[in-house]
Amino acid sequence: MPPSHAVQVNLSPAELSYLRSTLSQKPPIRLDHTKGRKDFRSMRAEYDVLPGANGSARIALEDGTEALVGVKAEVEKLQWRPSLGEQEALTVAAGERMIVDGGQTEDEGGKGKGQNSWLEMSIEIPGFRDDDSLPVFLASMLTETLLASGELKDRLYINRRFHWKLYVDVLLLSPPLSYPLALLSMTTHLALLTSRLPALKSEKDEDPLFDDDWDAAIPLYPKNRGKSSANIQVEKPPVIVLAMAVGENVIFDPCKEELAVADAVLAIACSASQSPSANVARIVSIRTIDPPSHLTPPGVPNSMNSATGGTAPASSADALTQRELLTSSGVWAPPRGGMKRGLISKIVKMVVEKDGIAEEVIDALQGVEVG
Amino acid sequence: MEYFSLKRSSTASRGQPNLSSKVYVRSTKSGKVQKIVRELYLRQDIPCSSNLCKACLQITPTDYSNKVASFVLSDTPAGSKKFPNGQYLVPDTNAFLTGMDLFEVETAFHDVIVLQTVLEEVKNRSLPLYHRLIALTKNEGKRFYVFFNEFRMETHVAREAGESINDRNDRAVRKAVQWYNHHVGEAVAARSKKSKRVPSVVMISDDRDNLRKAKSDGIPALSLSDFVSGLKNVDELLDMISAAQDRREVRSAKAEALYPEYFSMSKMMTGVKTGTMHQGIFNVSPYNYLEGSVHVPAFDKSLLILGRENSNRAVSGDIVVVEVLPQDQWKAPSTKVIEEETLNKNDNPEAEYGENVISERERRALQEEVKRAHGQSAEGKPQPTARVVGIIKRNWRQYVGHIDRDSVRLTSKSSRQQQMVFLVPMDKRIPKIRIRTRQAGELLGQRVLVSIDSWERDSRYPVGHFVRSLGELESKGAETEALLLEWDVQYRPFPKTVLDCLPAEGHDWKVPASLDDPGWIRRKDLRDLLVCSIDPPGCVDIDDALHARQLPNGNFEVGVHIADVSHFVKPNNAMDKEASQRGTTVYLVDKRIDMLPMLLGTDLCSLKPYVERYAFSVLWEITPDADLVSSHFTKSVIRSREAFSYEQAQIRIDNKSQQDDLTNGMRVLMMLSKKLKQKRMDAGALNLASPEVKVQTESETSDPVDVQTKKLLDTNSLVEEFMLLANISVAGKIYEAFPQTALLRRHAAPPKTNFEELGNQLKVKKGLELRTESSKALADSLDTCVNEKEPFFNTLVRIMATRCMMSAEYFCSGTQAYPEFRHYGLASEIYTHFTSPIRRYADLEAHRQLAAAIDYEPLDPSLQSKAKLEAVCKNINVRHRNAQMAGRASIEYYVGQALKGKDIQEEGFVMKIFENGFVVFVPRFGIESLIRLRDLATLEPEAEFDAENYVLRIKGEKARSVELFEKVTVRITDEKEESTGKRKVKLTLV
Repeated sequence: MPPSHAVQVNLSPAELSYLRSTLSQKPPIRLDHTKGRKDFRSMRAEYDVLPGANGSARIALEDGTEALVGVKAEVEKLQWRPSLGEQEALTVAAGERMIVDGGQTEDEGGKGKGQNSWLEMSIEIPGFRDDDSLPVFLASMLTETLLASGELKDRLYINRRFHWKLYVDVLLLSPPLSYPLALLSMTTHLALLTSRLPALKSEKDEDPLFDDDWDAAIPLYPKNRGKSSANIQVEKPPVIVLAMAVGENVIFDPCKEELAVADAVLAIACSASQSPSANVARIVSIRTIDPPSHLTPPGVPNSMNSATGGTAPASSADALTQRELLTSSGVWAPPRGGMKRGLISKIVKMVVEKDGIAEEVIDALQGVEVG
Repeated sequence: MEYFSLKRSSTASRGQPNLSSKVYVRSTKSGKVQKIVRELYLRQDIPCSSNLCKACLQITPTDYSNKVASFVLSDTPAGSKKFPNGQYLVPDTNAFLTGMDLFEVETAFHDVIVLQTVLEEVKNRSLPLYHRLIALTKNEGKRFYVFFNEFRMETHVAREAGESINDRNDRAVRKAVQWYNHHVGEAVAARSKKSKRVPSVVMISDDRDNLRKAKSDGIPALSLSDFVSGLKNVDELLDMISAAQDRREVRSAKAEALYPEYFSMSKMMTGVKTGTMHQGIFNVSPYNYLEGSVHVPAFDKSLLILGRENSNRAVSGDIVVVEVLPQDQWKAPSTKVIEEETLNKNDNPEAEYGENVISERERRALQEEVKRAHGQSAEGKPQPTARVVGIIKRNWRQYVGHIDRDSVRLTSKSSRQQQMVFLVPMDKRIPKIRIRTRQAGELLGQRVLVSIDSWERDSRYPVGHFVRSLGELESKGAETEALLLEWDVQYRPFPKTVLDCLPAEGHDWKVPASLDDPGWIRRKDLRDLLVCSIDPPGCVDIDDALHARQLPNGNFEVGVHIADVSHFVKPNNAMDKEASQRGTTVYLVDKRIDMLPMLLGTDLCSLKPYVERYAFSVLWEITPDADLVSSHFTKSVIRSREAFSYEQAQIRIDNKSQQDDLTNGMRVLMMLSKKLKQKRMDAGALNLASPEVKVQTESETSDPVDVQTKKLLDTNSLVEEFMLLANISVAGKIYEAFPQTALLRRHAAPPKTNFEELGNQLKVKKGLELRTESSKALADSLDTCVNEKEPFFNTLVRIMATRCMMSAEYFCSGTQAYPEFRHYGLASEIYTHFTSPIRRYADLEAHRQLAAAIDYEPLDPSLQSKAKLEAVCKNINVRHRNAQMAGRASIEYYVGQALKGKDIQEEGFVMKIFENGFVVFVPRFGIESLIRLRDLATLEPEAEFDAENYVLRIKGEKARSVELFEKVTVRITDEKEESTGKRKVKLTLV
């Protein structure tokens, strides 16, 4: 999908071929041979790093990629979209009427009232302009997953006249050594998880007034304490995990070099739902990502190299046919085509199943906050 | 993997120990909500400021001149029974909130440590109390020291998880007290080996929990009342503790709420913004204490607020939010006089429960009103009424009054039993105040100063506490102080810091002889001009002097010379600040409360005759037809040839045999002033009148002997015309130089509705028409309001018209559009005050601006900031009004004293008619007083009130009718008014 020129890999066709063959072994041997196919690279995470923000987090991967996310919330006046009933209630009626109307709306909370525009995300990656396709794509991808469930934006509803506007600023502190989507998503997740909004003191449709004690601020994602509130479905912000397929093998959290030989790459956004009955995690969205392997230069087999005694193909069509025959010869050829349905469902299953990837990642990030 | 944390906030546990932070949420005015993180750099060089301590003296930071701030706390603080070695007091926030009056007592409460934590909390809770506390810390004699405990490493306390802010602050106070005790102990030990006297540092708190925790930590602590009990004159001091506190504890659950609850602040703000509620200042009618009004920007006419329930605990002057009541509850403003003391005579101040908001009598009085309103024709149209739903800002001040004799149960002076009594304020618009006192017997018959503490929902009257006694009722000292306090006039002597700003030479200061002196730079030598001053007799602060001479071209050169006060009072020094606070000199009958110290006002600045003085001169070239050719402004040196009184000047001008240059100059001035006045009148200036009398006092005792109405001579208007001209010229000049920040004075055109009543009265009673579309029309129609038989009628109408006007105000030019600058009364496009800098602060500011406009000196930054100027304007507008009110009140008091024991018959005019009384104005004494129907006969006679024709037909044995503008003869006696304790003249109809 996106041009991945960002993630330039300097590997020769022979190296690529070698890497691919080790990864397609069963079990695969990863570049970091200590890791299994489900293993994530180790990372350091901390939150509340920016004192002035409502929430913030920073995650550093062992390869040196590092991301910082700050969440800022501002009170904004709701753009007035007059509907007949509402208008009357606010302009004509005195205090009494407002209370009555307010009472009705209170039951509903902010359900279904959130708007997509209440979340604004900006991503900065060193070496990229903010209108370059990589940051833009990453931002829209992250925004999309955050808004998908509707839960977050509804939480930004204050009353019929005011709402919070959430600014999520994502900053990649290092050059994009590997494809940064998963890292950014996890950092954003942690930042949102630990974000807090000042506690509201005013009631109903009044101009909002807030408690000036920061300690009284309430978390954007309320914590599920104990079993008493188990029946309330408390969502966590979604997180994106990256999975790639090499042959029949599925590898999670691939590093840069591994991506260079991927057959296909999937970005799976999932969120943990707390309802005990259903699956622990659910998929919010899936996107395929054009793997950088598509752009790698193909190896030239001896048979096609005049220097080694072969004959160079006369035309490009000729070259194509010849290569087609050589697919399994071990000479590197960039993978082509998409992903099989069966493979996709296999990946999805691995992500959402009990004790699956999603649960593991979300619990791990939760663990950062708890201690 | 090497890993650095980016975190910095939790430095309490790791990293630098001298760094901490404070996190809170700030809501800005524009509705933004921000999380604020303040980093605190903890230090160890904040001194304890005790004179016992040598160690702190070493570490104290020095200021720019390498001096160390001198230590505040005494090395031998006063002791008490519990702490015989002396004590430093550390009050907590509540101690200050409830006992500020106590701390201000001169005789006790010395060596007090004000913790930063406490100071900040006081600031958040009550700004006025905060200012008083700051004033206390500046009072050297009281030895109050502000200790920045939050910044000192040893006393800084980080908030624990789950700890409320209040608990943390209490802990911070205890921690500071603990540290102080330890520190003082060490300091004493370091001073001498055999330390004998280690003062205790004692926490003063009324919070039981806090006291308990202090006790368990071994920190010396006392409650405020326990501490006071150990002092001398306990009774007086205990009375000064705010009543708000103990009431909260005493009240039981069954207490019935008499008043509706206030709306939440956010609800009110939303309501005001969306226009469903309105915000304004609550004013109570001086004639009817149950009728209040609130002027809100949304409507031309004020909203009426009727009855106690609707006024919902608002006290006159509070900023309130009101809600308009449904139309069926609208009614016309009252035409009846209702006074609190007559209706609620028999209230019991002790009764805490089972009261009604509205007493039965009040209810009846209101009922009658409503009935009348309903049965009324179009004339007294019902007006929108409203009810108070909340208070934005209490403007409670200290009130002067006297104890209601009927409310005192135990009058014996020896009894020390505490009892609740009523204080009846002098200001009739303020409700009775319930105060708890142990000295009721002594306070009877005295002028007493009290504060209101609270007004809870279950109490019919506000609750307050005693501050101090001013002295016997009707004694001159007490009454004068009372009226100064009532009008918030700062009358204390000038502090030393102000006197330090005076020239060192004192009375020997002279204009430097040498023209090379810096004082002469850019200053014109006008000493050869024949300048003279014309003022009221006995005037010592001479602001202005005049001269005129003919020029060779036939025109005249006229000069107005104003005392150059800005030469002596430099911006932003202590004297300037004091003057800006005072705003104006206040003239009472026997006393003058100066804005500037005597030395300047009556000597160095005053343009006394025969000596050289610095002046600020306005020089014009004027044609014989009184047209301005040019004007010129300069700082100068003048020598006044003579100081005339108005009368002397008049005599001299009229005396044809006097043909010297000075007198001729005055004649020129006279001639020009008459032409100027004519021009002004043609332009539509108003000739207004206010009842002015002069009280003649015996020179020695200043006891009043006689009252006279002021006489106006031509020389009065001579001076006035040229002062107006100077003010207008200067206003133009400073506006041209500083279009955004010129300090000007405007007089808004009164809204048409203001004249409705008067116009209608004139039409109905006299068939006259009052035209109000412009000031010119009004001036002309006022001229037609004459009655051949009664020359005073015209003046009466003018007095009444004056009361319909807006009051003039100072403003900063950037805050209004040019057309709004207009001075309605003077019919001038632009106006300022320039001519009396000795007695008005506005003039002083105008001097500075003019000096900058003519490049004499650079303009001080404070005069370039619109915000600062606006604050100055706001203050001097209030001061100006208060000064006038205080002056009037003083005259009223002296008129009362002059008439004491007399019995005179005098002519009066009916000014206003109520359903049960009418107001009569007596020009001879400038007094106006209410005559109630019930004063006419022993049994209140029946009367029929014809509101449309302004006639009150009294029935019964003394049947007669009284109508508006009628000339009546009244008998004047004096009487002590029960409600206010003031001696007042009493009028009865003859």
